[in-house]
Amino acid sequence: MTDFLQNCIDGVMIGSSYALLALGFTIIFGVMRRLNLSFGPTIMLGAFGGAWLYLHFNINPWLVLLACIVFTVAAGVYVERLCFNAIKRNVAITSMVSSFVIWMQLEEIAIHILPDRTSPFPPLFASLSFEAGPFYVRSEYLFMFAVAVAAVFAVERILHRTWFGLRLRAVAEDPRAAAYMGINAGRVSVYAFVLVSVLGAVAGYLILAADQQVTPFFGLWATFKGLIAMMLGGMGSLPGAIIGGLLLGVIETQSLWYFGNEYKDLAAYLVLFLMLIARPGGIMGQRLVERRRLAFRRV
Amino acid sequence: MLEVSRLSVSYGQLRAVAGISLAVAAGEIVSLTGANGAGKSSVLDGISGVAKAAGGSVVFNGREISNRPPHHPGRRGLVQVPEGRRLFATLSVRENLLLGAGPHCGRRFSNSDFGGVVEFFPALQDKLHLSAASLSGGEAQMLALARGLMAKPKCLLLDEPSLGLSPAATEDVYRLIAGMRPLNIGILLVEQNVELGLSVSDRGYLLESGRIVLAGTPQQLLSDPHLVSRYLGAGENTPNHG
Repeated sequence: MTDFLQNCIDGVMIGSSYALLALGFTIIFGVMRRLNLSFGPTIMLGAFGGAWLYLHFNINPWLVLLACIVFTVAAGVYVERLCFNAIKRNVAITSMVSSFVIWMQLEEIAIHILPDRTSPFPPLFASLSFEAGPFYVRSEYLFMFAVAVAAVFAVERILHRTWFGLRLRAVAEDPRAAAYMGINAGRVSVYAFVLVSVLGAVAGYLILAADQQVTPFFGLWATFKGLIAMMLGGMGSLPGAIIGGLLLGVIETQSLWYFGNEYKDLAAYLVLFLMLIARPGGIMGQRLVERRRLAFRRV
Repeated sequence: MLEVSRLSVSYGQLRAVAGISLAVAAGEIVSLTGANGAGKSSVLDGISGVAKAAGGSVVFNGREISNRPPHHPGRRGLVQVPEGRRLFATLSVRENLLLGAGPHCGRRFSNSDFGGVVEFFPALQDKLHLSAASLSGGEAQMLALARGLMAKPKCLLLDEPSLGLSPAATEDVYRLIAGMRPLNIGILLVEQNVELGLSVSDRGYLLESGRIVLAGTPQQLLSDPHLVSRYLGAGENTPNHG
């Protein structure tokens, strides 16, 4: 039982970073009604930019974090302009395909920046272990969890307490009606990409700082983890993204402990497969779809 | 205030509006009536920039605004209340109103913006925190009108405000539209019900197949044999409009 609970603690800690990745996918999906497959690679490119500065100028880890955010935001805005703004809303498949092409491009750029493929990545502080009875938790995972909780509250506040958040929700619900309100949907879309790029960069930094290395495959990894967490929680649902991320973390740590490393990802895919059969909208998505359907029927 | 000259709107091969000209002055209510599919909503969409104008010009307060992105005219005080209301169903009444306030709302949410507008629509006063989806048809139309007024418009483009409403709710909504006169806002009112539209208007236009076929005061229009025979259900053998 102790092992099970310890795995749950570890899973929630790791899952909090998945939740941040899933939040990024969910916000873009909510606003654009399209999947941004190159979200992971933009985070990876930002991390490579930070790692390059760290290797060549030995800068402070906090500055590496800042550099990761700046590079990821730049890459995110590049993706938005090329794959989403330039392509009309009703051709979602074209956007998805073009975001996949940009994914390849971003990986190539990362390999040119650091040809060694695996590069060191600096942690923010030395690792410590906190113990409480039979349980323990590593400081970097505790920090990851705390940052994720703070980020979720910040996103909730931005979406529900700011003028930008209100416009973003309006564009997500009905872009044409938003245009009638004088809302510039293109600008809202750019700001949404900036927001999710910051979230992604912070999540990416925390994950890579725990591993202390970065490879070009991190983009693929981040896209998979974010997408699976989003689909588990429910596409388009912000609480669903958080629940999906935490659940994915717990599934992975439990299967790693009980079945071994080779079954970790397999278990996650199996749970996703079962979820899609039993509840195609994900944990929260079905309720979201139903609520929206009822609301639209009335108005 | 609003001058539309030879405006055309096309959707692919289909020409919905074929070179119409009209004008709305400050404080004036002008109705644009016609049958289903005559192109009334396309005229409004062409003016506001929601639909691309294929030709002609739209001048608002001395500035050419045709084919500007749809969020531009709103910022200049030309606000469209679209057909079917297009409320944000998952947002609250208050949030819908705030979105209507647009650039006048500023960066922070403020209750001061509600002041005059909510007073004008007492039915909404107790429902600010409810979801827009919970409103009745009449209340939803009032919210759409109130949302239009939140932007402090100089000119309102109202598209079929009676659509889908009960007779009682329609009467309430039209009483409110007539009550907007003292606000000195120019109103271009699209209405399929000719008598209803003209009942609150200073002038009117009759649109058929994307062209204006009649223009004048309500008295002139309502005494025109063509309009009477085609839209008011009078005798079949009245002389053709010339």
